[in-house]
Amino acid sequence: MQQKIVEFTNLLRKSGIRVSMAESIDAFVSIDELSLDDREVFRDALRATMVKRSEDIPTFDQLFDLYWSAFYDNLRGAFDSAVGSMGGEFDLEKLLQAIQQGLQNLEGQSDLDLSELAKALLTQDLSQLEQLIRQAAQGAGTERIENMLQIGFFTRRTLEQMDAEGAGRQLRDLARQLRESGMPDAQVDALLDLIDKFLEALRQAVRNYTERELQQRNFDYMEKFRRESLLEKSFYNLTEEEIRKMREVVARLAQRIKNVLSIRRRRLKRGKLDLHTMLRRNAGHGGVPFELIFKERRKERPKLVILCDVSSSVANVSRFMLQFMYSLQECFTKIRSFVFVAELGEVTPLFKERDISLAIDRALEGGDTINVYTRSNFGHAFHYFWQNFLAAVDNKTTVLILGDARNNYNDPRGWCLRDIHNKAKDVVWLNPESPSAWGFGDSVMDKYLPYIDVAEECRNLKQLSRIVDRLVL
Amino acid sequence: MFDSVDDVVGALGRQGYICGKNIGTVVYLATMLEKPVLVEGPAGVGKTELAKVVAQASRRRLIRLQCYEGLDEAKALYEWEYSKQLLYTQILKEKFAEAMAGSTTLKDAAERVGREDSVFFSERFIVPRPLLRAIQADHPTLLLIDEVDKSDPEFEAFLLEVLSDFQVTVPEVGTLESKHKPLVFLTSNDAREMSDALKRRCLHLYIDFPDSDLECRILEAKVPGVEQRLAADLVAMMQRLRKLDLKKTPSISETLDWARALLALNAKQLDEGLVRDTLNVILKYEGDIKKAHGELGKLLVKKAEEPAPAAPPATPAKKGVLH
Repeated sequence: MQQKIVEFTNLLRKSGIRVSMAESIDAFVSIDELSLDDREVFRDALRATMVKRSEDIPTFDQLFDLYWSAFYDNLRGAFDSAVGSMGGEFDLEKLLQAIQQGLQNLEGQSDLDLSELAKALLTQDLSQLEQLIRQAAQGAGTERIENMLQIGFFTRRTLEQMDAEGAGRQLRDLARQLRESGMPDAQVDALLDLIDKFLEALRQAVRNYTERELQQRNFDYMEKFRRESLLEKSFYNLTEEEIRKMREVVARLAQRIKNVLSIRRRRLKRGKLDLHTMLRRNAGHGGVPFELIFKERRKERPKLVILCDVSSSVANVSRFMLQFMYSLQECFTKIRSFVFVAELGEVTPLFKERDISLAIDRALEGGDTINVYTRSNFGHAFHYFWQNFLAAVDNKTTVLILGDARNNYNDPRGWCLRDIHNKAKDVVWLNPESPSAWGFGDSVMDKYLPYIDVAEECRNLKQLSRIVDRLVL
Repeated sequence: MFDSVDDVVGALGRQGYICGKNIGTVVYLATMLEKPVLVEGPAGVGKTELAKVVAQASRRRLIRLQCYEGLDEAKALYEWEYSKQLLYTQILKEKFAEAMAGSTTLKDAAERVGREDSVFFSERFIVPRPLLRAIQADHPTLLLIDEVDKSDPEFEAFLLEVLSDFQVTVPEVGTLESKHKPLVFLTSNDAREMSDALKRRCLHLYIDFPDSDLECRILEAKVPGVEQRLAADLVAMMQRLRKLDLKKTPSISETLDWARALLALNAKQLDEGLVRDTLNVILKYEGDIKKAHGELGKLLVKKAEEPAPAAPPATPAKKGVLH
């Protein structure tokens, strides 16, 4: 049992659930306290002690079923059907009694030595059998299995490892000796038949075990894929499915940044002595300052103006950036967002009316204000912003521009950005293209660079979150 | 205290808290292993209620510590009662003079004051806050630390220290140890993720929205007057509402509120008009209500088609044997 729990713990760890030493010890202790007849109770006990994050519960449940339930039941099923297929008149109890009898008769006369496996098969000691299969599989290295084609190979190796053939031989030997010692022919035939069926059932069970091992491995792989690679996958080639998953990942990252933020904020708190509040608070002690009160030092929250290119080439990047920024709304005093392709329009009101994901979908379609089916023209968009919205920018405003700066050979009008730069606290440009491509072809990034405080490549979630982190802290 | 998991489920049931085995298992383990339980789940599924009921079922006194931003040691553990100390010094002024009498040098006088200072830093002048009260109590207690996610990370670290060995050191007085180890329940709404260190020390219980069978039983236990047919319809509707993408998903407490409201209105069955009028009992955002109005036809039509919701009332009777 202990061995199995340790193995299960390892499986959980491999799938990305963090289980500490202390937690697996808790699991052992709690199992001592419970009767294990009820599988649900057993599962709840393991879950309560080892899984501490509600997001991990589905993973745990799946793994639990994979690891604990199916196998023993399967073994049982295989042997039951083996016995069941023996035909109507067959009585297992009687046969076993007869064998018992025969064995006693043989006592001392022969040097019959049954292996563990043969004994387990004969007495149908399923838990012992399960133990043996696990050990053999370990010896055969089944945990290294990688694909479907190897199932046959590892099944064979496991069977060799546990010497299934030898056990079969021994059992047949036993049947022969029983016949010689005067057991009725009919019973011996039945026994021989049964031995064949049991060996077949064993083969089935081992094959099943190997298949499950493969499933578990695949599970690890899938989990890892989901967690890690999404962070580094380029925004350019996401499937619908991945976009949905990515949304969750962004929400989680935003939450984490908020957590960290609350800690860092608090560290800022020690300011000057707040005499006013202190006197008032200590009036109850006759004005003796028992409690010291300090002024809070507040880090100023920036205003944010977001300019998003929503042409099809960068729409995905825009989507996640907008989600990120609006998830972190409380970190900014005010967010105004604009979208552009060639025309530019404000989409801030959308975010007030709807919840984030809906608003983003609408914004990416242009939000009724602009035509998205044109060719990008950054110069025109900036000029329009300069004419109409320059007042939105002041010295506390960070201007965040997102786009690939592919201007289709139009006039870049860098002077508009210069004026914005002069008024703003910072101008940050996120470009999904790598810096080596900036300024080549129709890219006008080099014309804008002099007026940008921070220009970053932003092609995947990891880069995006790093930039956001810097922006809000 | 409890003999088995079923015993726990039964005892909680007698207090009017209907729950599945998963909750029973964790509560049972918590009492056996003397470990704190961290209860998480959506708002309104009965996390706080669980702690209260366990306290009643195990005859422990409930001590509650409500967490909020800015909660610190002084408000959670203990505080010196400055004003009382001051008052005592005023009253005892003459005694001091007596004690000082005969001291010739300043050093001598300070020496004498020093000898007496334990009078002012004794348990008499400590205001015990919930944590200290739980530790000092003469009888078994259940300490409920509610909405621990609202507290600051520093407080969490401090909490760890107290939860690990249930003793508190007051520098001037010494170490105070607990006579009975309190049973501790922490609840969290996931406003922020708790640190791994805290989670490691706790058993974890996630209470989710109940399935329709369980919800029916809860409804019957909590709102006795409600008709079975109505209860089944109501629960079926709630289960469907939860599948919508709402800003605030209604939970058990909303179901109970709604049932009570319908009872007060003397409703016999759910119809569209009634639902439309009372929807604001279960949905707390204008947007959500609008959305539900839009889907209302679908929610109700569905019910007419499938006879399934009629079945649940039969099962509770059978399951009642559990208690």
